[in-house]
Amino acid sequence: MNFKDRYAIVGIGYTPQGRFVDRTAMSFHVEASANAIMDAGLDRKDIDGLMCYRQFSPKPGEEEVTPYDVAERLGLTPTMLSQEANCARSHLHHALGALEAGLCKYVVLSYADTSLLGTNSAFQYYDDKAVFGQLATVGEYALAAQRAMHTQGTGPETWRKIAVSQRKWAHLNPAAIMHQRPMTDKDYDDAPYIVEPFRLPDCCLMNDGGRACVITSVERARDLKHPVVAITGLGQHNSSRDIQTSTIMDGPSGAKISGETAFRMAGIAKEDVDACQIYDCFTYTVELTLQDYGFFGPGEGKDWFDHGRIAPGGSLPVNTSGGLLSEGYFMGLTPLSEAVMQLMGRCGKRQLGPETGTRTPEIILCSDNGGVFQTHATAILRRL
Amino acid sequence: MNPLAASKPLPRINPDNQPFWDYCRRHELRFQKCLACGHTRFPASILCPRCYSREARWILSEGQGTVYTYAVYHKAFHPAYADELPYVTAVVALSEGPHLLTNIVGCLPKEVYCDMPVTLVWEDIDGSFSLPKFKPVRQDAR
Repeated sequence: MNFKDRYAIVGIGYTPQGRFVDRTAMSFHVEASANAIMDAGLDRKDIDGLMCYRQFSPKPGEEEVTPYDVAERLGLTPTMLSQEANCARSHLHHALGALEAGLCKYVVLSYADTSLLGTNSAFQYYDDKAVFGQLATVGEYALAAQRAMHTQGTGPETWRKIAVSQRKWAHLNPAAIMHQRPMTDKDYDDAPYIVEPFRLPDCCLMNDGGRACVITSVERARDLKHPVVAITGLGQHNSSRDIQTSTIMDGPSGAKISGETAFRMAGIAKEDVDACQIYDCFTYTVELTLQDYGFFGPGEGKDWFDHGRIAPGGSLPVNTSGGLLSEGYFMGLTPLSEAVMQLMGRCGKRQLGPETGTRTPEIILCSDNGGVFQTHATAILRRL
Repeated sequence: MNPLAASKPLPRINPDNQPFWDYCRRHELRFQKCLACGHTRFPASILCPRCYSREARWILSEGQGTVYTYAVYHKAFHPAYADELPYVTAVVALSEGPHLLTNIVGCLPKEVYCDMPVTLVWEDIDGSFSLPKFKPVRQDAR
């Protein structure tokens, strides 16, 4: 089945992002979804599909977020409800499948969390490896990054360029949590280790907030208020290997096949990509994803990221909102929403084009990644 | 016993992993080896992921391997680990094939490196559990 240019993302919903002691994850889901629906110029009665990203364990006093509870608070009675249980990043495939099957006309995809206040967040959990002190996602990605240091010679010299470049983008985004918090190379080098080889700036933010988008057909999108941003390429590949048994932690990860699939559907080459929005739970994730997408060979990132290539004014901007590292953590919706807003031309001071000394974008490549390189999805968006 | 140590997470026993931890208590590191195709698997599972045979036996590991990768915790994500910082988690590639997430002990974190030869040591955490950990084959390993 070929979805090329048949479905579009027509609305984005933002919420306050940062630390909010008086808010629940549920309230962020509801606010983000309502904002996305209104941003698209739609009415709640139009929405017949609601999909939620996984929900981390609620903080004390909060109820578990379920898609039907979110739907109730949005006044929805959808044809389709779903929520991933863990980090399988199949949302766009599911959404487009439901649209293609005629099950739905307008699907909302939502993520929200109150992670700063949570007791069992993404960075702190217990599984069978906890008896060895393997207690946090950062520890597992650190294992992967260390392996890549050994086999490919990557390391902090590469990751520093990613972290510093993305922070520069965050300076152009007033909503970014790290807005007006500059970071120099020395700041990076002086930052404390969390789990070596990762320092604090290698790790994404943890924050409260929500993000949502609305997906429909390109035909319906043409009747709505924003420029049409179509999904022109879609891919997915899931190594499904825990860090304990993984032999792909230094690549090629699922990004390779996922990316090839998406580029094939889009009928474009990587040279046609104007910008990338890459899921950046850690700096190394950006490196490995772009490497597996074919932008450079194993270990060549050290040079590839030079000369501000991905920073404002660079030849291939990456994570132009600041990303998960410097804007805010909304799982795959941080990259996806930024790609949509850039292609719609709604990004203000960070808008790609003359404003930032970059190419005016027509095609933006997005990634989503779950587990520790266990799942991967690619979406290539194009302004029609 | 150190009261903090007692509060560390303990293995969560279920019907799949119970044999593994029962053997560990006897200081035997054992993995399932498929009787049909010979694949040695870990973690424990009801069938072989390669040939789907359910027939397996628990083979005894020699406890020899190399560090596939490692990481050094500088932050305690659980209060019971605060006194142990920095500590080393690692994936050890056993000579029998399986990879095992574990700890490297008996040397400084900076002395650990990928491909380092390591050997099994047991850490008894209470009367019920023993953890398979690894130390350098030679203290002056590098």
